[in-house]
Amino acid sequence: MEPASQKVGARGVNLPLKPFNAALKETTDLALFVRTSSETISDWNRQRIVDALLRETNIAQEVAEKISREVEEQIISSKISLVTAPLIRELVDAKLIEYGLEEARKKHTRLGVPLYDVDQLILHPNRENANVPHGPEATNLTLAERIKKEYALLNVFSQEIGDAHMRGDIHLHDLGFIDRPYCSGQSLEYIKKFGLNLPNSLSMAKPAKHPEVLLAHMVKFAAALQSHFAGAIGWDAVNLFFAPYLRGLSDREIHQLAQMLIYEFSQQAVARGGQAIFTDINLYWEVPKHFEKVMAIGPGGEFTGKTYAEYAPEAQRFVWALFDVYREGDAVGRPFFFPKPLVHITEKFFQTPGHLDFLAHICEVAAEKGNTYFVFDRGSTAKVSECCRLSFKLEEADLEDAQYPWRMRYCALQNVTLNLPRLAYQSAGSDDQLFNKIAQVFNIAVQAHLQKKAFLERLLALGADGPLALLTMNKDGLPYLRLGRATYLIGMVGLNEMVQIHLGKQLHESDEALKFGLKVIAYMKLLADKMSRQYNMRFVLEQTPAESTAYRFAKLDLRDFSPRAGYIVKGDISRGEIYYSNSTYLNVGAPLNPIERVRKEGLFHPLIEAGALTHLWLGEARPSKDSLANFIIKVFRNSQNDQIAFSPEFTACPDCARTSRGLQAKCPYCGSANVEGITRITGYFTKISSWNKGKLGELKDRFRNQNYFLEKDGGPAKDNRPWPFREETSRTFV
Amino acid sequence: MTLFVKEGCAKCEYVKKSVDLAKLGVKVEVLSPDNPDSLAHLAWHELVKVAETQMPILVLDDSSSLTGAIRIKNYLLALSQN
Repeated sequence: MEPASQKVGARGVNLPLKPFNAALKETTDLALFVRTSSETISDWNRQRIVDALLRETNIAQEVAEKISREVEEQIISSKISLVTAPLIRELVDAKLIEYGLEEARKKHTRLGVPLYDVDQLILHPNRENANVPHGPEATNLTLAERIKKEYALLNVFSQEIGDAHMRGDIHLHDLGFIDRPYCSGQSLEYIKKFGLNLPNSLSMAKPAKHPEVLLAHMVKFAAALQSHFAGAIGWDAVNLFFAPYLRGLSDREIHQLAQMLIYEFSQQAVARGGQAIFTDINLYWEVPKHFEKVMAIGPGGEFTGKTYAEYAPEAQRFVWALFDVYREGDAVGRPFFFPKPLVHITEKFFQTPGHLDFLAHICEVAAEKGNTYFVFDRGSTAKVSECCRLSFKLEEADLEDAQYPWRMRYCALQNVTLNLPRLAYQSAGSDDQLFNKIAQVFNIAVQAHLQKKAFLERLLALGADGPLALLTMNKDGLPYLRLGRATYLIGMVGLNEMVQIHLGKQLHESDEALKFGLKVIAYMKLLADKMSRQYNMRFVLEQTPAESTAYRFAKLDLRDFSPRAGYIVKGDISRGEIYYSNSTYLNVGAPLNPIERVRKEGLFHPLIEAGALTHLWLGEARPSKDSLANFIIKVFRNSQNDQIAFSPEFTACPDCARTSRGLQAKCPYCGSANVEGITRITGYFTKISSWNKGKLGELKDRFRNQNYFLEKDGGPAKDNRPWPFREETSRTFV
Repeated sequence: MTLFVKEGCAKCEYVKKSVDLAKLGVKVEVLSPDNPDSLAHLAWHELVKVAETQMPILVLDDSSSLTGAIRIKNYLLALSQN
């Protein structure tokens, strides 16, 4: 008898029915056991296959029945006595492929990690994030991230976007945290006013009455936030908002509080796989203009009756004490990795009494330990900074919110980075092709943002019962996460290499190259503005920190665009320590004096709204604080650079508990080879032993400004020439 | 010299109408959503932030810059009379 056929499946595929195997026993008679996903051992039941197919895919009942019978027959004929649920699922998936039911297969697929990979992960550290120490929590994080990454690429982003990411055209950051926004900035005023009352918390706390309690609330809230965001947690005007709690405290008490704050944040190895809470604290010497007339909240969450302008002395004592602690370093003299102190240099800073002494103080810390980030807010610009360089520029509406500072909560929802060198390889020197490709890949990035936004909106819509309950909590009439104020970041890697491929010169090698680089970023900025208008969302450019992305893109391009890529990627190919220059950076190895690097990199900064940073690598040099202070003033007055960090290098010896300058193979004090190298990776200090190969390659190439800031060598402290030395620099554009 | 102007900027139009820019050899760069060259040129002269609040901007041959429509107009008129 000819097998009958029937129309089945979404594609209407005609599948002949196979003859029923009369020798097959009733399934209830089968001595077949299944290890299920819910950690039980059950009897075989073919119906479970049918139920899963109907629940998870859109195939017809009869097809599900048919597939289940064929899989059952396959298992029986294999004579296995114990099967696992994953095996059954894979056999079913194979059937779905066999019948051309690809969409059903995707929906039915199992996400997971091979046994071998899990074994390796448990045993060996993962270097994708230098901030995550190796341990059980880190392993949990890595495994969860892998599954969520697969989920994101299958179920959140379209195939076009997923493929673009996997090819290396773009990088979708933090795929393993697909169910979270990216970074955030917040205000202490929120917990000062409302206390600590978090969803799923076992207890509630009223607003703090004492500064130590406020600190405790801040740390706990930061930890809770860190489990709801993929990136950094930034705090605005920390010293100012602590100030109402500090009135009447002695210097010793303020120093103690400063010490507690820094140690709490640098030793909380609890967040996201056991890493420290990635924390940025924004600090001011002056009272920012937008807070001058704001009524201060003090102990118990009550208004004190005074404005923040009246708490300037306490705010200054506290920020001074914080930097005293940073200058000391930890118990063995290492710099504190967190929290990162971002000092805002503004016009008002220079009008505030004591600013020169404070500048010298923070420059001393920059010279000794490298902690200080100098954020330049020129003109009327105000920013909340965080992460390695991300900042939220405060617009008019935000400055109005300053009257109710607990409302000042910002976030970036996602970062998508473009592989710029790849576009140049593909364009073969044609400007038209290059800019067309930039527009195409930019649009892909925008689509990715739209898809992530849609996914997060679904989660947020679940409110207090959903996975993002903390972000939906509403204490002031607004959800904690103000989605309407979110930004959507478009980052870039390898502008330097893109220009090198396109023009044959790196950014620092000719004015033409630098100008072309500016045109590329200007074009991207205009695209971001256009997309913002089109979608009513704030797309902004960001200098991607690119801790691993610069390495990933270089590896992929070396695979796909050799031999040309072999001449372009930076680092050591033979050791696999390759990378592209980060974002809009000049080649880290270019022997540029700091002024030139700061000025040239600063040309890009006004186009990169979400923040930019220039690194000045110091190596083992210990510059004079006066040199640095002089330099900072000139950078503020004579450049457009957004932010600077000076990065010395250290060697810490656990054996003799001492720290020396520079990266040494052995401790110069006790001779031990058991030493840890420490310096900045992208925008934070960490141990070099945790760096990925790309960053190690970049570390070797970094040009260290060893002598430039030494007064005795006639560095800028004694340099009275006008800056930026116009007679040395061609300013003609055309 | 380069005069940066923006679409829809009344002060920019005032300067353009007040002075014979072509005769003075002043190049006009129009900042617009479709002109990355002009924006890049503006960035080269470190004037992006200035342009957010002050337009037009005149960049002189020594790369210094003038803002303020009246000031620019007067400067250019003085040049044209020399």
